Amino acid sequence: MPLAYTLPSNLSPATVANTSSLLRIVALALISGAAIASRLFAVVNFESIIHEFDPWFNYRATRVLAEKGFYAFWNWFDHTAWYPLGRVVGGTIYPGLMATSGVIYNVLHALNLPVDIRNICVLLAPGFSALTAWSTYMFTKEMKDESAGLLAAAFIGIAPGYISRSVAGSYDNEAIAIFLLMFTFYCWIKALKTGSVLFGTLTALFYFYMVAAWGGYAFITNMIPLHALTLILMGRFSSRLYTAYSSWYAIGTLASMQVPFVGFQPVRTSEHMAALGVFGLLQIVAFAELVRAHVSSRHFQSILFGSVIGIGVLGVFAFAGLTYKGWIAPWTGRFYSLWDTGYAKKYIPIIASVSEHQPTAWPSFFMDLQFLIFLFPAGVILCFRELRDEHVFVIIYAVVASYFAGVMVRLMLTLTPVVCVAAAVAFSSLLDTYIDPVEPDVLAPSTQATEAEVPAGDSPANAPSGSATTSKKAKKAAAADASSSGLASGVLAAMSPSGKSAKPRGIFGLDTRIVVIANALGMLLFFVLHCTYVTSSAYSSPSVVLASQNPDGSQHIIDDFREAYYWLRQNTPQDAVVMSWWDYGYQIAGMADRPTLVDNNTWNNTHIATVGKAMSSPEEVAYPILRKHDVDYVLIIFGGLIGYSGDDINKFLWMVRIAQGVWPEEIQEPNYFTAKGEYRVDDQAAPAMKNSLMYKMSYYRFAELYGGNSAVDRVRGQQVPKTGPTLDYLDEAFTSENWIVRIYQVKKEDLLGRDLKTANSFDQGKKRKKSKPLARRKAVV
Amino acid sequence: MLLLPLLALLSLPFCLAASISAEDAHQKLVKLAAANNGLIKLDDSSYNLLTHPKRTWSSSIHFTALDPRRRCAPCKEFDPSFTAVAKSWSQVPASERDTHFFATADFDNAMGTFQKLGMQTAPVLHVHLPAEGSRRPASGRTAPIVYDFSNGFDAGPLAEQLSQYTPVPIPYKAPIDWSKYGTAAGVTLIFLSTVRLFLPILRSRWAWAIGIVLTSLVMTSGFMFVRIRGMPNSGANGQWIAPGYQNQFGQEVQVVSFVYGLLASGFLMLTLVTPYQTNPYRQRLQVYLWSGVIFVMFSVLISLFRVKNRSYPFKLLL
Repeated sequence: MPLAYTLPSNLSPATVANTSSLLRIVALALISGAAIASRLFAVVNFESIIHEFDPWFNYRATRVLAEKGFYAFWNWFDHTAWYPLGRVVGGTIYPGLMATSGVIYNVLHALNLPVDIRNICVLLAPGFSALTAWSTYMFTKEMKDESAGLLAAAFIGIAPGYISRSVAGSYDNEAIAIFLLMFTFYCWIKALKTGSVLFGTLTALFYFYMVAAWGGYAFITNMIPLHALTLILMGRFSSRLYTAYSSWYAIGTLASMQVPFVGFQPVRTSEHMAALGVFGLLQIVAFAELVRAHVSSRHFQSILFGSVIGIGVLGVFAFAGLTYKGWIAPWTGRFYSLWDTGYAKKYIPIIASVSEHQPTAWPSFFMDLQFLIFLFPAGVILCFRELRDEHVFVIIYAVVASYFAGVMVRLMLTLTPVVCVAAAVAFSSLLDTYIDPVEPDVLAPSTQATEAEVPAGDSPANAPSGSATTSKKAKKAAAADASSSGLASGVLAAMSPSGKSAKPRGIFGLDTRIVVIANALGMLLFFVLHCTYVTSSAYSSPSVVLASQNPDGSQHIIDDFREAYYWLRQNTPQDAVVMSWWDYGYQIAGMADRPTLVDNNTWNNTHIATVGKAMSSPEEVAYPILRKHDVDYVLIIFGGLIGYSGDDINKFLWMVRIAQGVWPEEIQEPNYFTAKGEYRVDDQAAPAMKNSLMYKMSYYRFAELYGGNSAVDRVRGQQVPKTGPTLDYLDEAFTSENWIVRIYQVKKEDLLGRDLKTANSFDQGKKRKKSKPLARRKAVV
Repeated sequence: MLLLPLLALLSLPFCLAASISAEDAHQKLVKLAAANNGLIKLDDSSYNLLTHPKRTWSSSIHFTALDPRRRCAPCKEFDPSFTAVAKSWSQVPASERDTHFFATADFDNAMGTFQKLGMQTAPVLHVHLPAEGSRRPASGRTAPIVYDFSNGFDAGPLAEQLSQYTPVPIPYKAPIDWSKYGTAAGVTLIFLSTVRLFLPILRSRWAWAIGIVLTSLVMTSGFMFVRIRGMPNSGANGQWIAPGYQNQFGQEVQVVSFVYGLLASGFLMLTLVTPYQTNPYRQRLQVYLWSGVIFVMFSVLISLFRVKNRSYPFKLLL
């Protein structure tokens, strides 16, 4: 066979194997290093700090775990959250993340490495991303081979879709969940391939870890049954499937019920019923298979087939009946909103209000996955070409995850692994084909002599088949060869499952190889540049500290949040209750260490609506609400001065909407728009808007800052009225450097029992209007 | 001194309304409602009756402009829903029924009322709560509540929302959509009867492959975004790329999924089909062709992305 380029021939197979395994290890180590390093932009650019909102709660909980031990953490009742209700933390969280960092903390301290718990929390996500790369390597290895595995590991290591939730400091459940997801899937594939109970149990154990770590475990709970069901429907039931699934389901479900937050959900809610149903179906199918093995009558088999279907239908009806009776809870709102996409907006505004629950436009896909996104369909097609049991899994995963990622930006995270796997399969197939130095023999005469009488021996693949049995095949192949150069025959040959095709396969020439491989390497290089750019520019901002650029291009740090939170910490009593919109609840608890009314846990819609009502009502209405909830300080975020668009005025409509859901008579969204239906904050703003507490607090004394010039809100781009709002029931207590955070103190009731408004105007020396017409008339009557 | 006659003039409508006692007004309204399937057609005088300052009843008043000259498309859309809900209310026993009225005020019949309320748009739905009696709201609110159309014009949510103000929930049931069920049953029947014909397709892995790959291509091109947000197929003045990174038009789904599909098939061609080409020259041609297609289409994709995300620093050919 001719070679396109020469290979060294004096190497023993053992040397080749050893070298390649060493190279694999080195490559994996380098990939891990790259994965960790590219997540450190946030630490390098800013500092080692916990990001965003939810991580602050996780960090706070982890600190409790590290300082007071696991039992104190487990029984922790947080008085300061959801004031005055409090929160049972142990029973309302997924403890996997905190437990993981707690274990790492204790191990390091046992080794006399006194690492601060904060650094463990900050660096946990990058650390686990290295493990994710490794588990993706293992998973992809099962799909194709080691080289595809290495590519997949490299892809997932630096793909922005995963980095977005796992940069250093983003101490959230997803940080460890993607590793667990991929490793559970790997164990499942392994269990299915080998039929080993050991791997089935491992799947269950990692499933348990996943349940303890992330609410998204329902994805596994439904993916594995879906895979099993598809295999049954494809007629691929086997004892391996039975063993793997049964061991996973039995152990995994029992284990998952040990997490207090999950409890009896696995047997009582619809999300988990698919797994139970497939478990039941497998038992029936297995029984049928057993009987079939012992009975030969065809007649009996058809009866058996009928009864299997009958039992299945009965099971579905039983399930429906139980749901109807209320024994099984129907789909929860969050889950339901994935299918009926209008549902959340109508019924659960809290969920719809979160920006990461919005649908995904295509630039986000491209931003997060770049060239992987179009290699991904090619990889799926390659999976179809082989279609072993594990390829079915990738196919199902691909279609399900791409739907979910389209519905919710946040679920891009679950799409990323399968895109990396499929793209790696496609990419490594391409490289395999074009790196392979073997050239096929040239069929010199075949193009000219198109006759069908071409002897079978002419075609190299048919060379060994001189016998009569294969002559038919040979004829066919020869006939195909006659029209060989056409594209259609090539497609046909490609579609037949690999290895079975009789046609020769290979690439001629060196230049073709160089062109394709240079193109491919160029794409890889571009991908690296893209990932680095996206990671450093878009995903590494802690959002606690903001960065802007000075005119000379140097970085300017805006640190208003911490400034304000530390002001609260230093200047207010320990038990001063702070009211803010729920987004900032965790940060206030974490950084200012003060009780809050609502936080990002969002478990009590009414309580959130109360805050929304207070913010969107006029002062007189809001004041009794504030006093009844013992609120001492109100904290708002205002971006109008420096153009920080994520501020409370922009979130204000959601406050109104959520309040309207509970008090539809008192708060109505249309009142906050002008008659023309515009959302304005300037002179023409709607009266309800102008009188609302939020508006007043945001623009209080804002116009004074401009000293008579027109004050412009830089977020809305509108001119603010020159005479700003006045406040009677609140006092400005603190405003941060760039006015992003403003804190107001709630006044106590007037000592003389007057209305605070009257007391205020008295203090300002305004005379009370003597002639109040209403009072006079009353006096006359 | 001029003030007094002016005041008297101002209070004229109130006097007129007050001249009829609340009971009489109620009797008249009941008759009016009974005459027209539970839906009162309002003019200026009956509007004053219905919003009697001493009313013990509540009412839902629908302001609309159905005359074709007014060209109010949403009015036509909403009118059937409101009529259906009003009709379903007439099934309620008389004792409860007569404490809430449904009324429609058409612009051409009740111009005075429209002017008085300063109404610029239609349809608008006001809910007047009782001003007296046991159902008087605790807040003493007499101003009408404006119905929020954010849930659309459908009768279901309308009945649900209005039920908050009626003494008993409105017994509205959506009419069974026979045509939908009929179509579904028909399609199922046709499918079942021709399942033998389809079976080879259902069994063929490539049929499934095409279906699944098309699905994921369309999904990853933002199809769900367009559906959920109800984005138009293209913008005004023929612009087909929506400005902004978190935004897109329907046409972008087609273009982007086509580009993705072409790139994916380019890779598949290079990997699967080209190696089977037995003629070296043709194979070389194919390799160069597909590599070129991939490179050019990738550049096109990048330039599309640069339109959406202006700060993106990289580019290939374009």
